[in-house]
Amino acid sequence: MKKDEIRIAILRIEGTNCEEESYNAFKILGTKPEYVHVNELSRGLKKLNDYQMIFIPGGFSGGDYVRAGAIFASRMKGTISMDLKKFIDDGKLVIGVCNGFQVLIELGFLPGINTDWSEKPQAALAPNISNRFECRWIYVKKEKNSCEFLKNIDDGKIIALPIAHAEGRFIFSKENEKKYLEHMIDNNQIALRYVDPNGNYEEYPWNPNGSLYNIAGICNENGNVFGLMPHPERAFSRYQHPGFYRNLYEEPGKKIFKGMVDYIVKKF
Amino acid sequence: MIEKIDERYNVYRIKIRSMEEQDLLRISDQLSLALNFEEMLRLRAYFRNLGRDPTDVELQAIGQAWSEHCCYKSSKFVLRKYITGIRAKQVILTGEDAAVVEFDKDHAYVFKMESHNHPSAVEPYGGAATGVGGIIRDVLCMGAKPIGLVDSIFFGNLNYPYDSLPKGVKHPNYIFNGVVSGIRDYGNRVGIPNVAGITYFDDRFITNVLVNAGCIGIAKKSNIIRSMVDRVGYNLVLVGGKTGRDGIHGVTFASKVFKTGENVEKTAVQLGNPIIKEPLIHAVLEAVDKKLIYGMKDLGGGGLSSVVGEMCLAGGVGAEVHLEKVPLKEKDMSPWEIWISESQERMMLAVSDENLNQLMEIFSLWDLEATVIGRTIKDEKLILYFHDLVVMDLDTHFITSGPVYCRPYVIKYPAQIKEDMIPPEPNYNRVFLNLLENPNIASKAYVIRQYDHEVKGNTVLKPLVGIIGKETHGDASVLKPLIDSYRGIALTSTSNPKLTSIDPYWGAMSIVDEAVRNLVSVNASPNSFADNLNFGNPENPKVMGDLYEVARGLSDAAKYLKIPYVSGNVSLYNETNGESIPPTPTLMGVGIVKDIRKTVSSDFKDHNDIIYVINETYQEMGGSIYYDLMNYRSTIVPKVDLEKLNKSYKTLLKAMDKRLIKSCHDISEGGIAISLAEMSIGGDLGLEVNVSEIGNIRSDFKLFSESNTRWVIEVSEKNERDFVKMFSNLNIYKIGKIKDNGEFKIYDGKRLLINQTVNNLRRHWTMFPVEESK
Repeated sequence: MKKDEIRIAILRIEGTNCEEESYNAFKILGTKPEYVHVNELSRGLKKLNDYQMIFIPGGFSGGDYVRAGAIFASRMKGTISMDLKKFIDDGKLVIGVCNGFQVLIELGFLPGINTDWSEKPQAALAPNISNRFECRWIYVKKEKNSCEFLKNIDDGKIIALPIAHAEGRFIFSKENEKKYLEHMIDNNQIALRYVDPNGNYEEYPWNPNGSLYNIAGICNENGNVFGLMPHPERAFSRYQHPGFYRNLYEEPGKKIFKGMVDYIVKKF
Repeated sequence: MIEKIDERYNVYRIKIRSMEEQDLLRISDQLSLALNFEEMLRLRAYFRNLGRDPTDVELQAIGQAWSEHCCYKSSKFVLRKYITGIRAKQVILTGEDAAVVEFDKDHAYVFKMESHNHPSAVEPYGGAATGVGGIIRDVLCMGAKPIGLVDSIFFGNLNYPYDSLPKGVKHPNYIFNGVVSGIRDYGNRVGIPNVAGITYFDDRFITNVLVNAGCIGIAKKSNIIRSMVDRVGYNLVLVGGKTGRDGIHGVTFASKVFKTGENVEKTAVQLGNPIIKEPLIHAVLEAVDKKLIYGMKDLGGGGLSSVVGEMCLAGGVGAEVHLEKVPLKEKDMSPWEIWISESQERMMLAVSDENLNQLMEIFSLWDLEATVIGRTIKDEKLILYFHDLVVMDLDTHFITSGPVYCRPYVIKYPAQIKEDMIPPEPNYNRVFLNLLENPNIASKAYVIRQYDHEVKGNTVLKPLVGIIGKETHGDASVLKPLIDSYRGIALTSTSNPKLTSIDPYWGAMSIVDEAVRNLVSVNASPNSFADNLNFGNPENPKVMGDLYEVARGLSDAAKYLKIPYVSGNVSLYNETNGESIPPTPTLMGVGIVKDIRKTVSSDFKDHNDIIYVINETYQEMGGSIYYDLMNYRSTIVPKVDLEKLNKSYKTLLKAMDKRLIKSCHDISEGGIAISLAEMSIGGDLGLEVNVSEIGNIRSDFKLFSESNTRWVIEVSEKNERDFVKMFSNLNIYKIGKIKDNGEFKIYDGKRLLINQTVNNLRRHWTMFPVEESK
């Protein structure tokens, strides 16, 4: 399909707060992004089926006074999660950034180990090991993974992205940790890992939240559901990148978004 | 003296017409009106003349409206004389909830800074959070989209010994963590980047913490909404949160001094809820875009009472309000409580009948409550009903005609210029490292990183700049508010209580100088200021004297530079047990960036580039961190030469527009030595400089003097000649070169004063207050 026919639903509820920059990113790339409030879906005013991609932006959905993402997820569970499952089964893209990643884990669509939709969350994004919110730029390495739309970034490439979260430490329960992690590695589900500037898998502060295996972003086995803690929409233009002041004109976020759009153009 | 009007409701008539004088004050106290004897006399006379006694609702409404907080009765005179009259062509609207200033042909920026000191002292987390919430609503209600937050916060030192704390005073550690978490949790949740501010430590803030919160927004000029309604028959729609007992008497409480040990009024602190605010912003902005809102004002101090009264007064109309329609958190609230509650997350909208339905639909989609509680009327009166009972019927002019005082003042001239015996020269390396660890110099990453300063994706130049993982302090942050324009907004905040307490006049001039320096450092042209004036008890003539001198200093500087103060507030009574805070004016400075692609950061960029210092360094050590550290005293504070400042900053901006400057940092607390260290830390580059030429003074004064109007800049060899030519009418000093060997060496003539490595500097600079391993 043509770029300007691609409809992207940018989901929001109260407390979603990164939707504008995400909207702008897709708009600049020539697609048709649209803000879709969860209430509009549950009241039947809009239908998921009309979109090729769902983007769940960052924020503090519902205040995140419980576990991050839990309120948003339970609001969706009660109303539209069957539609969402069908959407995923159709091979359409579902992307969650930061709080959106937390929502996808709470909903059970990620990591999706041995299932495409787990009833209970299989992993968690726990409080950072520093025990506080941190907003700063970090480095991630692109790993070999099953996301077609990330193919425009070479495996092993190191990119800088900003993070801003209090709960981003990817973990499994102790009894499943080894099994699940091996499964994810074997199935190429780990897309981005935190590294130092030289590409070493370092501990905190380079691993900014203390994630297991330095995990920053993962996908399901099919590679069409993708969640990550860093914010590509805040690294879309070169002027957002701190490297701009040191003559590095990089736009890593744009590369990630462009990959998604090109993928949809080809596939649908 | 007090009698119930109607069996069914909690409304009372207060018989003040027949009250003796001693009873008048007692009733003011009993009802927490915070009105003084003269004010109560005036009330009695008014109601005698009216031929009836007031209800409790009426008295409470007047108590709110006449409080220091709402009517500025002590400071109005000073403000009119010095601050509010500075005219400039870029100003579109002042005197409303926030100032409106031109950004470009079609857009305006809207901003304000306001104190939230008293609530933060009682309940640091909630007080600071609602400070942020309130200032966001002030910007929003002008029809602007909030795009940036600024927070300047002042505490006692975190290592203050617990056993020396005055009774009933909370430790600065507790207050600091509460305030920072409050600002963090509110700002991050609501999704507005927090990009600038001050974190300041001085034991004179032990009993009275200061929290000055600022917000800036952007709006189409055609979407600006006034904080008033001048049409009859318009609906008054209350939107957002419910009304509760939190925040009763907040404004009268903020107009009193603290006494420790007294049962502090916890109910006077409001509770914020950013998850009502966040959709409220969306819904309001959508309604603004669809032109559904005629007038709008945020509910802050004084609650419904202030907002309805002020909107109507400004428009020359009156209103009928039905208090029973106000959605409540607690069902049994009395009418007077409903009328003056300061519960958060509420806004008042004036909407025509024709637009009402469409407006209600928007709010319903966001699950937000919106309720028509009244209507504007032709008579300039506020008539309140509780069901069928009239509980208030007063003239708007009388309610809002708070007194203006010209309080007595004594000006303390630090006339005898004097300095303690000149101390011996220090151990330079040790003093330098101690300065880097000083809480007012050391890295504030611990605070800055907890605030999301990049949400919305518009933060081009961030508060911490330089190599990823090694960032240093920037001078001002830059936002790019419009998607299709490279024009930007720079934000900074300045204050220097050490200077203003020694010399309020020159201290005030210095903070203007620093605001200009910070904005210019990033290539922004200073455009306007908000001023927060934090002082002690205005009934003390010395405190009033300081207020006069600060205002005069702010005024002289701004008038010469033609940069107006367009919004702000005054916070008085920051005093506990007779211990007053130092006079603390805080500025929020806004600069216009013509092209964000030409902004400049403070971190050093390249090996072998040349380092210059712009303007002279003097022996003006009073109020410096160096003297504070060494325990020396001097009343000789840095002066400001306004002509030189004006010329310097304009020249520097020209050089930046020609891309001659690779990095720039202003020289402030800690002097040249500290500015150089911060530039090295962020660029992870060393240097070798010689300060022999920069002034005819002793070496330690050269390194640590805080003389105004100075910058350190980096220029490449290729551009050096053009740069020098541009600055031919100013004094500039070539002091050395950037080195990539990681060594940091400062000489004075042949003496090597400081010999360090950049890594060691960073280690000391990042030690405070929580060690952050890098």
